[in-house]
Amino acid sequence: MKILVVEDEPKTGSYLHQGLTEAGFVVDLVRDGHDGLHLLLSGSYELAILDVMLPSLDGWQVLQGLRKAGKELPVLFLTARDEVDDRVKGLELGADDYLVKPFAFSELLARVRTLLRRGSRSKEPDTLRAADLEVDLMRRRVVRSGRRIDLTSKEFALLELLLRRQGEVLPRSLIASQVWDMNFDSDTNVIEVAVRRLRAKVDDGFVPKLIHTIRGMGYVLEVAE
Amino acid sequence: MSAGWRKSITFRLTLLFAAVSTTVLLLLGLLVGTLVERHFEELDMELLTGKIELLQSALRKVDSNRGIDALSAKLDESLVGHHGLAVAVLSAEGRTLYATAGAQFPDDIRTRAKRGLTSVWTDAANRSYRGVFAEARIGDASLAPTVVAVSTELSHHQHFMYSFKQALWSVMAAAALLTGLLGWFAARRGLAPLREIRQRAAEITAARLDQRLPVDAIPAELAEVAATLNEMLARLQDSFRRLSDFSSDLAHELRTPVANLLTQTQVTLSRSRTLAEYNDVLASNVEEFERLSRMIADMLLLAKSDNDLIVPHREPVDLPAEIRGLAEFYDALLDEKGIRLSCAGAGLVSGDRLMLRRALSNLLSNAIRHTPAGGHIAIRVATDEAALTLSVENSGLTIPQQHLPRLFDRFYRVDASRRRFGEGAGLGLAITRSIARAHGGDASVRSERGLTTFEIRLPLRP
Repeated sequence: MKILVVEDEPKTGSYLHQGLTEAGFVVDLVRDGHDGLHLLLSGSYELAILDVMLPSLDGWQVLQGLRKAGKELPVLFLTARDEVDDRVKGLELGADDYLVKPFAFSELLARVRTLLRRGSRSKEPDTLRAADLEVDLMRRRVVRSGRRIDLTSKEFALLELLLRRQGEVLPRSLIASQVWDMNFDSDTNVIEVAVRRLRAKVDDGFVPKLIHTIRGMGYVLEVAE
Repeated sequence: MSAGWRKSITFRLTLLFAAVSTTVLLLLGLLVGTLVERHFEELDMELLTGKIELLQSALRKVDSNRGIDALSAKLDESLVGHHGLAVAVLSAEGRTLYATAGAQFPDDIRTRAKRGLTSVWTDAANRSYRGVFAEARIGDASLAPTVVAVSTELSHHQHFMYSFKQALWSVMAAAALLTGLLGWFAARRGLAPLREIRQRAAEITAARLDQRLPVDAIPAELAEVAATLNEMLARLQDSFRRLSDFSSDLAHELRTPVANLLTQTQVTLSRSRTLAEYNDVLASNVEEFERLSRMIADMLLLAKSDNDLIVPHREPVDLPAEIRGLAEFYDALLDEKGIRLSCAGAGLVSGDRLMLRRALSNLLSNAIRHTPAGGHIAIRVATDEAALTLSVENSGLTIPQQHLPRLFDRFYRVDASRRRFGEGAGLGLAITRSIARAHGGDASVRSERGLTTFEIRLPLRP
């Protein structure tokens, strides 16, 4: 999976490069819009992360050049300005997603994975599994080690999200927006409490533990090796 | 300079004074000049008619041609001492019977005499004369009537009038100048309070906003202006005080987490640690950073709302549906604390869905935070003809009255020392009020007998 990052701010650029590389992507980093567009047109990238404010060509212009050349790869914008007009402009020009600085790295990672998955969604599975946990999406039934677990609808949605993205650390903001459609930071620990309650139902009394808290990052469902 | 000059009230008043006094003096000067001239004319006429009468009476006494010759000597005698006076006596045929030396008369003496004219004329040397012409009977009735003419030279009058007018005009010019000067002085004196106001205003700075202009000590015309300026200063002082309170609160709120981060990181770096310890410190740092980041985003939102930069995107919003969504979101928290939540009423309002949801979320999370375990929260939506009212009531401690008006202030906490982890920075209610105001409404709170109710009122027609 090759990703091009076009970011002129050196610190941001290098941590994006490091973080994405460590997450298993092949990452190229350039610092100006011209080079960025050139690489995107000539190279074979599967995703571009563009800063809006760039030297020589800004992010909008890079995106325009890209779409004009018929390239359909997903583009994620980064910007320091949270203006509705900017957002609308980006989406009109064909951007796929939009993040306002400062953002949590886990949030960026989750969005990158969502965008990359979008293109290659194969047949929806009916059942999601992790170790001895089985979730039947059609009948909305959860079974672990042969024992039926009762979940509320939101708990079910949360578990489904964690299972679909097994191994990915999901930040609280992403969970709030995917499960409850709440697109703002709550000043409470409500996600923490919700995950704790789900964990009590899914993990208590079972081995191995599936739902883990990664402090400062979010939550992940994985079968520990 | 020229623009300032034109606008100067002192200059305008000075000009006005000078113009008015010059006009008055000019009219006065013209009047005096005319009167003096007329007075001289009257004196001349008196002299001339007197002499004519003298001649007529002398001629009446003559009874023969010889007598006329004798008359010359007599007339010479009676005219001694009358400088500038010329006399001529002509026979009916036009022969000169008597004439003083150098007497100058117009040629048509006889015609003028028949009509009894008085005239003014100028001779070849440009000297002016005034003359009276008349006929006179001679005592001997056999003789034809004679013609007499008397004239006086006017140059000494003209000289006098010339110097008189010169003196008059220079006095007037000086007087006009003087009134202009006095006008300038008066205007400056009259405008002195204005300069004082200016000086006072110049002394007012951000650090001395408590200064006021002296309303009692200045003229009535300016008192109103000064009072209005004072009101403006009072408003500025209030806004400024809020702003500086806010800045110092902000500095304080930012300093605490930054100090924590700094200390914790430095302590960690002071010696080598295990991987788990590093992990722990970094994770704890992230939590602080997240809080800082959220605080900055909130502050930005509030700053925008202070400058009326928040423009709600209007769409119909079903408030009870939003409340249900939020109740689901907070379900885990409510359930854990054993809080019962009820929601009653219905209402559609035109507003920005995301903003209103955020305002409601802040009210709800605030209520959850302050409701004791086992308590209840009741949300009610009511609509009257003008507005929709949403109230969030929670059981718990009654908030002392003196705190209520400040609850919506930024960073305000009832208990200043209390700040648990996970609690907001104290901006939630301020944001709620800003959002309500951006929608043309407002937020309020009341607390009595163990029930605290926050209310937002949104007008149905924005």
